[in-house]
Amino acid sequence: MFRQRVGWRVSLQTRLCWAGFLFVLPALLHLIAFKFYPMLEALRLSFYKYDLMSPPVFHGLENYRTIWNNPLFHQSFWVSVKYMFGVSIPEWFLALALALLLNRKMAGRPLIRLAYFFPIAMSQIVVALVWKFMYNPLGVVNTVLGAVGVGRINWLATEQTALPALILIGIWRGIPLFGVIYLAGLQSIPREYHEAATVDGAGPWQSFVHVTIPLLAPTILFVMVMSLLSAMKVFLNPLVMTEGGPNGTTRVLPYFIYETAFAYHRMGEAAAASMVLFAFAFALTLIQLRLLRRGGVE
Amino acid sequence: MRRTAWTRWGGRLITLLTVAGIGLTLLPYFWMLSSSLKTGNEVFELPLRWLPREPQWSNYPNALTRGAFGLYFFNSAVVALAVMAGNLLFCSLAGYGLAKFRFPYREASFRAILSTLMLPLEIVLVPTFLVVRSMGLVNNYGGLIVPLAVDAFGIFLMRQYIKDLPDSLIEAARLDGCSERGIFWRIILPNCKPALGALALLTFRDNWDQFLWPLIVASKDTLKTFPLGLAQMEGIDSAAYHEIMAIAVIAMIPTAVIFLLFQRAFVRGIALSGLKE
Repeated sequence: MFRQRVGWRVSLQTRLCWAGFLFVLPALLHLIAFKFYPMLEALRLSFYKYDLMSPPVFHGLENYRTIWNNPLFHQSFWVSVKYMFGVSIPEWFLALALALLLNRKMAGRPLIRLAYFFPIAMSQIVVALVWKFMYNPLGVVNTVLGAVGVGRINWLATEQTALPALILIGIWRGIPLFGVIYLAGLQSIPREYHEAATVDGAGPWQSFVHVTIPLLAPTILFVMVMSLLSAMKVFLNPLVMTEGGPNGTTRVLPYFIYETAFAYHRMGEAAAASMVLFAFAFALTLIQLRLLRRGGVE
Repeated sequence: MRRTAWTRWGGRLITLLTVAGIGLTLLPYFWMLSSSLKTGNEVFELPLRWLPREPQWSNYPNALTRGAFGLYFFNSAVVALAVMAGNLLFCSLAGYGLAKFRFPYREASFRAILSTLMLPLEIVLVPTFLVVRSMGLVNNYGGLIVPLAVDAFGIFLMRQYIKDLPDSLIEAARLDGCSERGIFWRIILPNCKPALGALALLTFRDNWDQFLWPLIVASKDTLKTFPLGLAQMEGIDSAAYHEIMAIAVIAMIPTAVIFLLFQRAFVRGIALSGLKE
């Protein structure tokens, strides 16, 4: 009797073990085929010379040497860095400001929220084309700025202004997105904490610095990393709006990789450049995973 | 006394900033709509016209017949819906397996799945293209859809949600003799509708305007998604901004409608993720 029962339990456990594994298996196989294998393939390819036509030839570190000696790669690298921080840093503050604003009690709050969050629904290509149109020398940006005495500028065709113009779009699009995340963080802070601070004589500013900021810290760190990661991937805007120009001033790293691979068919060099981008993503993700764990998500 | 004056002026300043912010946020939409109803000459007229003299509704049908936009929109819808279906199925399966079962290397699998979040398409573009090419999936719907059908974020979202479902629900069904597959379909799925809803919305939004991947994997005109069509149209005739904006307005409708209808679920999903873009 006893033994029978143990036998049944063991077999149930084994069965469940298999069932669980089989539930996960399809997704796991997919990720192996379309993420892990390509990643290893990229690593391997970065040591080969490959033009899609003739078979790959082992090349040692030649690809890395080539891109290291390519001034365009260095330019791309710094364009990407400038874009990432140019977009992210304003986002950190403005998204928080937006979340604080939307967390206040005020008339028409649902409508105000809707207006601010609406850009989240806009597709990337539409954003790119509308802004390209607005940045036109005869466009609405120049008209608005003309009203305050700024002369007409061809924003996307001028070396000094093209990247800042793209950065502004990134910020415009990122604020609502990160605002939502901040808002969720703010709403998870129990109201009693603020009430307690007020009872102890804290003003709004003190309450913000000593209650809100410390409790929001995990969210803040999360937004910092995520905004950098998503700015790192920008590709569509430079492609559609400036084609990386003028003079490569908007050729971000993903664009450099795309061009090297699919315009010049230098797959090995593109793979080597991908490894540099990957190093970026890897560092940022490590930080993020650590933060997630500390934030108690896992 | 001084305090109230302060608060009143502060309040006014905040109201002013709020309104200005809304103006800046919505300006592109307004401009898009207004331009889509202008004539070709009005679009670049100086001084700038904020509204068309006479709304040109014919811009819409004219623009749609310029390229094969009916087809491009159809392709985008196919890709978005198929990728959404794939994610809903595979991510909930995997999420359930990771949340409610014990098996060797479960934690390691979960960590491996999460680690793919740092491998966005932009980084593995070249080798993913080579993999898809070796599978014979270049220039067909399979190539557009299959590589995107599972995303680690979806697995993460479903796992977190299913983890909080009570074990007793599953055990009761199991004691009643329900099969493991039956438990998944009849107990788990109906109980995680909110998570499935959020995942469906986010996946649709992210894939409705797929650009980079179709650009690489679909060179045939009949497989183009609408963003490729739009970019192409803009490249050929960048003076036709009234018609480009008309297409842009049409392209916005599905995501805008979904957003307006399901704002809460949408926002909740993004709040959970933080990493969709």
